[in-house]
Amino acid sequence: MNSYNIEKKDMNILLDRFLEDYKVFGPTRPGADSTFDEITSIKQLHLDYTSTVLPPKKFFHPPKETLFSFELKNDKFTTKESIQDKKILILGIHPCDVHAILKLDKFFSTDFSDTYYQNRRKNTVLVAINCVEPSEHSFCSSMGTGPYLDEGYDILLTDIGTKYLVEIGSKTGQKLVEGVNLRKATETDFHEKERRLKLMEKKIKKFMNTTWLPRIARENLDHEVWLDLGEHGGVDGSFPCLSCGSCSLVCPTCYCYDVYDTMDLSLISGTRNRELDSCQLLEYGEVALGDNFRRDRKDRIRHWMLCKFGAAAGGKNSSCVGCGRCIRVCPSKIDLTEVAKVIRGGKQR
Amino acid sequence: MNEKPKIAIFKFTGCAGCQLEFLHLEEIFLDILELFDISYWVMVKRDNDETGWDISLVEGGISTPEEIEEIKQIRMKTKFLVAFGDCAIGGCIPSIRNWTPQLDAESQVYRDTSVIQSTKVFGIGEYVKVDAILKGCPAHRDTIVELLKSALLEIRPRLRQHPVCVECKFRDNACLITSKKMACMGPVTSAGCGAICPSLGRECEGCFGPMSNPNTSALASIFKDLGFNEKDIKRKFRKYAGMSPEFRKEAGH
Repeated sequence: MNSYNIEKKDMNILLDRFLEDYKVFGPTRPGADSTFDEITSIKQLHLDYTSTVLPPKKFFHPPKETLFSFELKNDKFTTKESIQDKKILILGIHPCDVHAILKLDKFFSTDFSDTYYQNRRKNTVLVAINCVEPSEHSFCSSMGTGPYLDEGYDILLTDIGTKYLVEIGSKTGQKLVEGVNLRKATETDFHEKERRLKLMEKKIKKFMNTTWLPRIARENLDHEVWLDLGEHGGVDGSFPCLSCGSCSLVCPTCYCYDVYDTMDLSLISGTRNRELDSCQLLEYGEVALGDNFRRDRKDRIRHWMLCKFGAAAGGKNSSCVGCGRCIRVCPSKIDLTEVAKVIRGGKQR
Repeated sequence: MNEKPKIAIFKFTGCAGCQLEFLHLEEIFLDILELFDISYWVMVKRDNDETGWDISLVEGGISTPEEIEEIKQIRMKTKFLVAFGDCAIGGCIPSIRNWTPQLDAESQVYRDTSVIQSTKVFGIGEYVKVDAILKGCPAHRDTIVELLKSALLEIRPRLRQHPVCVECKFRDNACLITSKKMACMGPVTSAGCGAICPSLGRECEGCFGPMSNPNTSALASIFKDLGFNEKDIKRKFRKYAGMSPEFRKEAGH
């Protein structure tokens, strides 16, 4: 695939090209509490962000969506699908988040095909950007999902000083840059990319040893760390879990959802809706007549961590990409990389 | 439907804000009247039918011996009794006075306390059986509609009991506790408001009362770690639901 470079100050040219065909979304604030919002001018774009509150998951698997509407007329039910076919482009996704989308792609297409997800996904272009400044909570290098990317993108940007290196990853990406006056990338550009990414890797301060981790997690279902997390605190300075659900809601790979109907006041028509759910919430494990599979906080936090350690669902679908959002958002300062160390037995508390 | 279910709306010790919330369903109010006969509502109607009701929405806590008698009467004439808002559930803001000795509280307001007959402020559940609760100060209009619709359809209403944090994340808000070091009650407070305050950069005050199974002692120790003193933390837990079993300990019982 082709590669180009573009002066940073000329990025508006590329953005204008994107805006011709797509609604563009990108990080709109610097720092770690940025958000992916609509971008209409280059001034709104902050490619120097470190992380966002919600991952780009929100574009494909939104917190709330209407799946279809239904109506009962003359004793007959009719349904009407709500089709999402808006063409969008996400600009400035980090490698960890691209890897998370690849995981979601697999989940929403392998065992069953989710039209709602796939409709959105196939109408989306991903313009990724390699990380040159990690957040203090990132541990992507341990998970093999960053800080640089070699798959899953249509276009990939890398900050190489006064310029961005522009690498093309798909036909859609190639088509998008045609007609834009970009210079061919040089050998020097690639050397600079290499140098900066090596430098970046050295800046990452958090690690998680994933060797045998799914198995170690499965064999430690009765470890005392789970009760400490849920009720006592003190796991590397953590407070007890609040079960607020924030960790899973900001997780780019958590896909669990709830489906429910809303009736209109006419009582003959309504909508079927889908809402992001969280295994940390008490109601998640509740079944008919009020029984609950995971009534205790320790069971809920264990369930989530097993999923992130790759030990749930046969280790097939979920697991972690090391973006660090759950660590940053936790009011109780719970850090899953520290929990991994504890169940491995490598850390005395 | 042959006959429309009869609804009654009552007010005890509270501010009438929950009733106003019902009245503010302006754009669908006529649709509701198509489905229900609001046969008793003193705040809104001149003629009120006191013979009995299918659903009674009771706003306000119970704070006098007369109110205790009245709520028992209402219970007897009602098929389905709803604690409408935080005051009816657990006393809410008026219950802050429960931490002051009775006579002190009365004499702060009335010169001659011999005419005053008041009790500690409790939710209506202290005296009668309650069939459903609508959380909030005031209860959110969407939950009112959800409850009424579910009553007609004879299904369980979808009234979520999870924390405000869920709605806050849905709105892509940065966490006020971790990012701004604010003492936000969101992690122990029931959702339903749509995370209005945190979305405007203000910490949650806890006006929907406790969520399901809140970890209050953990949040109190997090507040302490942020530098808040014990008195302030107690006040936070007392403000809207200090009498609830979930918040009682942190509120200073």
